[in-house]
Amino acid sequence: MKARRVDGLDPEGTLADNAERIVRVRLDELCSFMPAAAQPAEVVALHDMRIAAKRLRYILEVTGACFGPYAKTATKHAKQLQDLLGEIHDCDVQIPETVAFAEQLQAADAAALHEAAGPAPDLDPALLKQTPHARDHAGMAALQVHLRARRMLLFDRFVELWDDYERKGFRARLEYAVGERAGVESQPQR
Amino acid sequence: MAKAQDIDVEPSEPYRHAAARVVRVRAGELFDHSEGVLDTRDIERVHDMRVASRRLRAVLEIFAPCFPQSEFKGVLRDVKQLADALGARRDPDVHIDALRAFSRPLLAANKPGVARLVEDLRARQSRGNEVLATELERMRERGLQERLLALADAADPEAQAQ
Repeated sequence: MKARRVDGLDPEGTLADNAERIVRVRLDELCSFMPAAAQPAEVVALHDMRIAAKRLRYILEVTGACFGPYAKTATKHAKQLQDLLGEIHDCDVQIPETVAFAEQLQAADAAALHEAAGPAPDLDPALLKQTPHARDHAGMAALQVHLRARRMLLFDRFVELWDDYERKGFRARLEYAVGERAGVESQPQR
Repeated sequence: MAKAQDIDVEPSEPYRHAAARVVRVRAGELFDHSEGVLDTRDIERVHDMRVASRRLRAVLEIFAPCFPQSEFKGVLRDVKQLADALGARRDPDVHIDALRAFSRPLLAANKPGVARLVEDLRARQSRGNEVLATELERMRERGLQERLLALADAADPEAQAQ
């Protein structure tokens, strides 16, 4: 996913003013994936939201010290979100890979059975025991079941986590914090 | 996992000064983690270098306007390519590790299939290692480390002169 362009960056300006612009864009980018990403089938939106969380996390890791205290909390939230979405993404990559590998084993065994049947009028089920991958299919099926269930569980956690962030005012508090400057007692909001 | 070095920043310091300092530190971390990265017995090494490559890429993008654009684009492209090669090695590492943990409590009847997949992933890991070895060599030939430092110097020529 290509990052949204941040306008008005000035190399001669202060770090805090430039970083504030970047954080505001990255935060808006992250939040824009909801509610779309709250649908379990939205694999692309979930993946893009993970990238957006990563971008927000990294800008906060580098420049969070310039802002109000909530920036530090927001860095942890962005990391937690990125990690969880990363685990969901791993499942989204591993499920089709596992399915493809299981199909490859099944196709190889079907070809071996066909060959073993020879001129017989029908296939003898007893031949199944002799196929090259006879012992492998059960484990592949168990793995697919595990990955699908884990993906559901992680997705539930993600929805809960985002709801929790919303309840705690994650967006508004971070927007406020980036308007503050560390070491300055009060700062008007922009 | 190796923790990234904390870098002190001041809200009022010029953006380009911070750019130079942060890129120098993150570039240093990338190359510090390159030793032993092709050793598949210790998967944390490639993980650490991959994380360092991501952090470096992130700071290059954060400070992009501070660098001369022609040099910057080439360096960013090379860092991305290195990160992709690290990913090609790291992804099977992670998958193998997860399958090992998954396999432990399984019924005996389910273990052979998982072991078969691990075997397949081992082959992918070896191919990933070859891709990474080629990319590390290419990175050396193209002087990526020196080009990164030159980029940092260009963002803050005063600091370079000191």
